[in-house]
Amino acid sequence: MTTKELTEQGNTQKERENLLEVKNLKTYYPIHGGFFKRVVGNVKAVDDISFTIKKGETMGLVGESGCGKSTTGRTILRLIKPTGGQIIFDGEDITRISGTKLRKARQDFQMVFQDPYASLNPMQMVGDIISEPIKNFERRDKKELVEYVKSLLVRVGLPEAAYYKYAHEFSGGQRQRIGIARALALNPKLIIADEPVSALDVSVQSQVLNLLKDLQEEFGLTYLFIAHDLSVVKHMSDTIGVMYLGNLVEVASNKDLYSEPLHPYTQALISAIPEPDPKLRKERIVLQGDVPSPANPPTGCPFHTRCPMAQEICSQEKPPLKEVRPGHHVACVLY
Amino acid sequence: MTTNTAYGAVKRPEKSSSPWAIARRKFLRNKLAMISTVFLGIVILLSLLAPVLAPYLSPIPDITKVNIGKMSIPPNDEYLLGTDKSGRDVMTRLLYGGRISLLVGASATAIVVILGTIVGSVAGFFGGAVDSLLMRFTDFVLNFPFLVFVIVLNTILYGIVDGLWVLILVIGLLSWGGVARIVRSKVLSERENEYVLAAISIGTPPAKIIIKHLLPNVLSTIIVQATLLFASLIVAETGLSYLGFGVPEETPSWGNMLAFANEPDVLQGKPWMWMPPALAVTFTILSINFIGEGLKDALNPKSQR
Repeated sequence: MTTKELTEQGNTQKERENLLEVKNLKTYYPIHGGFFKRVVGNVKAVDDISFTIKKGETMGLVGESGCGKSTTGRTILRLIKPTGGQIIFDGEDITRISGTKLRKARQDFQMVFQDPYASLNPMQMVGDIISEPIKNFERRDKKELVEYVKSLLVRVGLPEAAYYKYAHEFSGGQRQRIGIARALALNPKLIIADEPVSALDVSVQSQVLNLLKDLQEEFGLTYLFIAHDLSVVKHMSDTIGVMYLGNLVEVASNKDLYSEPLHPYTQALISAIPEPDPKLRKERIVLQGDVPSPANPPTGCPFHTRCPMAQEICSQEKPPLKEVRPGHHVACVLY
Repeated sequence: MTTNTAYGAVKRPEKSSSPWAIARRKFLRNKLAMISTVFLGIVILLSLLAPVLAPYLSPIPDITKVNIGKMSIPPNDEYLLGTDKSGRDVMTRLLYGGRISLLVGASATAIVVILGTIVGSVAGFFGGAVDSLLMRFTDFVLNFPFLVFVIVLNTILYGIVDGLWVLILVIGLLSWGGVARIVRSKVLSERENEYVLAAISIGTPPAKIIIKHLLPNVLSTIIVQATLLFASLIVAETGLSYLGFGVPEETPSWGNMLAFANEPDVLQGKPWMWMPPALAVTFTILSINFIGEGLKDALNPKSQR
């Protein structure tokens, strides 16, 4: 066996424990301009990010609005066409598949959407909403299907009678439960939760979060959890990725990231978490300026325009994401 | 409980109320729309029953035969609405005319709505090249010179297809552009909703997304458009028949009856020949328009409560 074959074997073994592997993923939206609608530029919504999620774990993705979190999630689910890179799901490259093959593959990865109002069809009965994914892939006895959907409803904390109601008769939190039931219907391996609680009341948020946690244990689910609320992500995730302007600037385990954030941007974010104990007043890092436009990102490190520790090199070279401590990746020239 | 009654006690229905049920309740409360519905129902019923009713209402139930001895009789006990220049009973022709006018209106509307919805929803959902291609074709159809086309098609199809159906086909095939555009624009805005994305992510095939998700949500617009179109297509039939390019002359339609009254003598001195079809057209169109308005209010989610 040559060394090349050996490393290849090693790779496939590594992929087995990884459910999702994202390599150099890019999603650009072209900007059309001029008389003939030529492409005059790109909005780099997701610009070269890589990470892996292990089976049964939760990866949190945080960042400000507009930093490309949702686009990342949707690109992984192939709801948006990736511009470049690779998405390997359960050992299979799903970056380029299309048509029926893609539709079949969708059984294994589902999404919980951000807006519980817009993500449910107002004209459909709740029972139909939840049974639709099953009807798309298999023929089941009608009675059995109704029973199954009702059991799902009960599992997510809704009464069986909800089957015959319409989405407008439920509150935001209940609607989100319906959305979760829909995502669960096909017994997927991966669920991407795109800010599932940001549209909900704080009191309801924790209920939905705990439901998601319970379901993860019960069904052995893997989550990619997208949020802008750091405390929510801390509650949910095993590993956390911090995004800024379409780039992943830091990836670390939950504990490491909160106890010892390395990237200046992460440090600023974490300093902004309100501290309930007034005696423990900590230094707040206030970032100056605004997020630059992803259509015209700064050269070098995307964060250098606002970084309190920026050096000259920062505007010239884009630092790669490298492992500076075991399991702790950061993209910054300081390390 | 007491507060409930204070607000006029909107009773919650036993069964869960679908968006359609809410719209139905709102429509039933709209008086003008309900009166119009009843009126239109009567017009349709009278037209359908024309062969049964005509012998009772008139001593000359034949609608096509010229009757020289009985020309231009003013309304009296025997001839309820008088007779026309050819001695045909106006009442009978009015009843039969309603059948033709409503048939043309309804059939042409059906063709227009079906074609317009298919083209519009496919263009709106798929976007890109499909959209450009279909919408350019729609523009092309919209720019056809209507009258010229009607005359040419009438000549070509004369004798091959029954004259009435030539008219229906021509009106239908030339008028769907507007509906296609409206459906497309509604589908464009509707597909931005996350439930469409959700449908894609649960593996629903495109055709099913259009039929089960998008169309029910744009159906309210289509229904309203259809009622308004129904009215304007009745007018189109009337106008074309008046010009002589519509329904064959011997077949009575409201438009044909009006066309018959194009002499100053008739217009000034013999109103019984043209008043009835003119009023029939006017009130039918008005009632259809009121129904359309009522549906628009009932189906508009923003006017809820």
